[in-house]
Amino acid sequence: MWCFQGGWEARGFPEGTLVTDMASAARRGVVTGLGVLSSIGSDPETFWQALLAGKTGIKRIGLFDPSELPCQIAGEMTDFDAKNFIDKKDRKQLRVMARTIQLAVACAQAAITHSKVDKKAIDLTRFSVIFGAGMVAMELPETADAAAVSKTPERGKIDLKVWGTRGLEVIQPLWMLRYLPNMLACQVSILHDAQGPNNTITQDDVAGLLALGEAMRIMRRDHADFFLVGGAESRVNPLSMTRQSLFLPLSTHNADPATACRPFDAGRTGLVLGEGSGILAVEEVGHAQKRGAEIYADVCGFGAAFNGKDQSDAIERSIRIAMAQAGIGPDEVDHVNASGMGVEKEDRFEARGIAAAFRDRKDPIEVTSIKAHVGHLGGSSATVELAAVALALRHGMVPATLNHTATDPSCPVKVLTGEPRPLSRRYVVKTSFTSEGQCAAAVLGRHQG
Amino acid sequence: MSRKYQRRVVITGMGVITPLGCDIDSMFKALLEGRSGVGPIRNFDASTFPTNFAAEVPGFQLSNWIKDCARWDHSGINSKFAAAAAQQALSAAGLVEALDSGKVDRNRMGVYLGSGEGIHDFHNLMWETADSYDPQTRKLDYPRFCKGGRATFHVGSEADQELHTTAMHLAAHFGLNGPNFNCLTACAASSQAIGEAMDLIRIGDSDMILAGGSHSMIHPLGVTGFNLLTALSTNKGNPQGASRPFDKERDGFVLGEGAGMLVLEELEHAKKRGAKILAEMTGYFTTADAFRVTDSHPEGRGAIACIDGALKDAGVTPSQIGYVNAHGTSTQVNDRVESLAIKHVFGEAARGAPVSSIKSMMGHLIAAAGAVELITCVEAMRTGWLPPTINYEHPDPECDLDYIPNKARQAKAVHCLSNSFGFGGQNTSLVVSAYTG
Repeated sequence: MWCFQGGWEARGFPEGTLVTDMASAARRGVVTGLGVLSSIGSDPETFWQALLAGKTGIKRIGLFDPSELPCQIAGEMTDFDAKNFIDKKDRKQLRVMARTIQLAVACAQAAITHSKVDKKAIDLTRFSVIFGAGMVAMELPETADAAAVSKTPERGKIDLKVWGTRGLEVIQPLWMLRYLPNMLACQVSILHDAQGPNNTITQDDVAGLLALGEAMRIMRRDHADFFLVGGAESRVNPLSMTRQSLFLPLSTHNADPATACRPFDAGRTGLVLGEGSGILAVEEVGHAQKRGAEIYADVCGFGAAFNGKDQSDAIERSIRIAMAQAGIGPDEVDHVNASGMGVEKEDRFEARGIAAAFRDRKDPIEVTSIKAHVGHLGGSSATVELAAVALALRHGMVPATLNHTATDPSCPVKVLTGEPRPLSRRYVVKTSFTSEGQCAAAVLGRHQG
Repeated sequence: MSRKYQRRVVITGMGVITPLGCDIDSMFKALLEGRSGVGPIRNFDASTFPTNFAAEVPGFQLSNWIKDCARWDHSGINSKFAAAAAQQALSAAGLVEALDSGKVDRNRMGVYLGSGEGIHDFHNLMWETADSYDPQTRKLDYPRFCKGGRATFHVGSEADQELHTTAMHLAAHFGLNGPNFNCLTACAASSQAIGEAMDLIRIGDSDMILAGGSHSMIHPLGVTGFNLLTALSTNKGNPQGASRPFDKERDGFVLGEGAGMLVLEELEHAKKRGAKILAEMTGYFTTADAFRVTDSHPEGRGAIACIDGALKDAGVTPSQIGYVNAHGTSTQVNDRVESLAIKHVFGEAARGAPVSSIKSMMGHLIAAAGAVELITCVEAMRTGWLPPTINYEHPDPECDLDYIPNKARQAKAVHCLSNSFGFGGQNTSLVVSAYTG
């Protein structure tokens, strides 16, 4: 469709480097439906309007009393109830799902409804579910009785002999199934009879983007036509918040939650967690056209890389591979939808990686991030952000970065702030990564029929 | 064979940490001898649990494999198993030095693991839960829990429980700067990782991938979870006879632990650097049962599609399969449905196909099982010996295949099938073949 012009060397690859060309591959992917559950909206339209209006869902935690935590704020979904999304006959299943899994099944239903796909009219053995997920937080009440009967007077010591007998008696038989990370994709496959490839990728913030890359590969090897690519995660619970407060650089800007998350800003205060789910219906273009589906965006390229020492190198290579696969050059990109965590180390290496990948561009590349709107959503970050990209391409508008007033001088990128602006070029690059250097990038494009 | 792919994928290195041996030769020798690695659980006091036995890795020390292993100081045991098996695999492939000296391009070598979750700090977590709980009102005092947890949870080990850390440690330690994935699809995880890694190489996204998995669920919450699901054997009177795949008296699986790692490499890349080619990866397919979270589909819908798809991907017919390494967990449902699925796909050829489950000897390595079982297939082809299914005593009319009962068998296999079926419905089948040029 878009012919690849020029050699690899022209795109910064050493001669002989083999980079697959997604644009010229016979089977291409398009986004045909969106499900979004977030603290700023639980349908694509509300979410989109909130992004444009610069609303944030970050507030003081209300789901439990966070007063003993250094970070007491999050992108919390105050009124989420999975029952509102799920058929009456299937609601019984919700009882064996932790909140994260409920978010996934609710959002998957929303994405399928949004895509208007008729499940009776598609080959369900070629319906694939590829998700990103993180650790599903244990819900403390589920094992509290067992813990209480087997607690010893010595701090940090449980009497295992009692746990093995009286403890086990007071835990629900299906307890473990509430927390297995693969249960997001499994429960979704069961509810929708999706019998194609089913995978769960667990690389934290980048998991959902890796899931998109994998889905594109599965499409190209011709093992599926219709995909749900997504993720869900809730970290707004006492266990996750306690654990993560120990090792993540969380913001303690409790006095003013709305301005706590400040991507690439010199005055940043740290990471803010959140909860939500983003799920994309992704489809082979011919399959989508045949059923007359509405197309939100083209999926044009994907790249992934690692660097444990110089993470910016892995960001740069991911972007370059994704652009090469899409068959585009740096001047064809409208902007980068960055991870933009609002943490010093991460913002700096991401910005440096982006700047390096666009080194040969004529004008500076613009970067935006929606982290300040919704927070860091772990396994669902990348796909909620991808939903924002798809909506930007669909509406021809770019949402601005919230809470960004003065760019950190060590972040060599131009951050889009203030008002949303119209999209002027066809392609958007999405980047995601883990703090340890697991990186990925995707190129999405405005659909041209 | 496999000519439909321009880029063929071969295995150039392997490594294992298992209850039956911490190198390929010791493990395979034990398998051929039909030894059981099952014994009383020592990882924690399981004496009163419905199941108090498992197959543990004895005396494991990461420093035996990696001298400078400080980055794993706070890691869970599965991450350490992964590192030791990876060191073996990369070293066998001649890549440890080649990566260091720049003879191979580290940007073209990725990681795709199916490694398990980090292990919760059970004692502190449950003690703090109990301490903040009033059993009368059934209310939890969350501020008290948060305060207590912050005081007692260990920073480093909490951070290392996150699911992306094992793949990160391997990539960082060995300098593998290509794509970095980990998938967690229960018992299918490492097979699915290997299959997707194959695809990454076939399609050109990488030239080499360290693929495999590691896992241990032999800890209080792991055994609790499986005991509650009544998935584990409770044959306390005869632990070494408890894992009895396909036997009529089977009553559940036995937990094992460990890791299996492989270096997958594009054929021409391997030839160019003179690597020793151990076998060729020829077929992969994966499906979902989409049935129930607790049971396989009763007619084996997903398993049939999966086995059939893998054979077609490899371009081989059932009669060409010389050995099937079964998922064979020793649960009533799995073994019946898997036998049914093999018969359905293989038809007449099912009679002549030797099938065995090494879970009879080393238990179920959960996420790591598939990788170790694929490695077993490679060794079976290389040595001409097929490992048995031990503890096979009582034929089950619904499981009526040749399970290589109790004694290893000498047989030449050119193509092997390895099945892995995950809790929750993911099915993965791999076909590995002798490399014949």
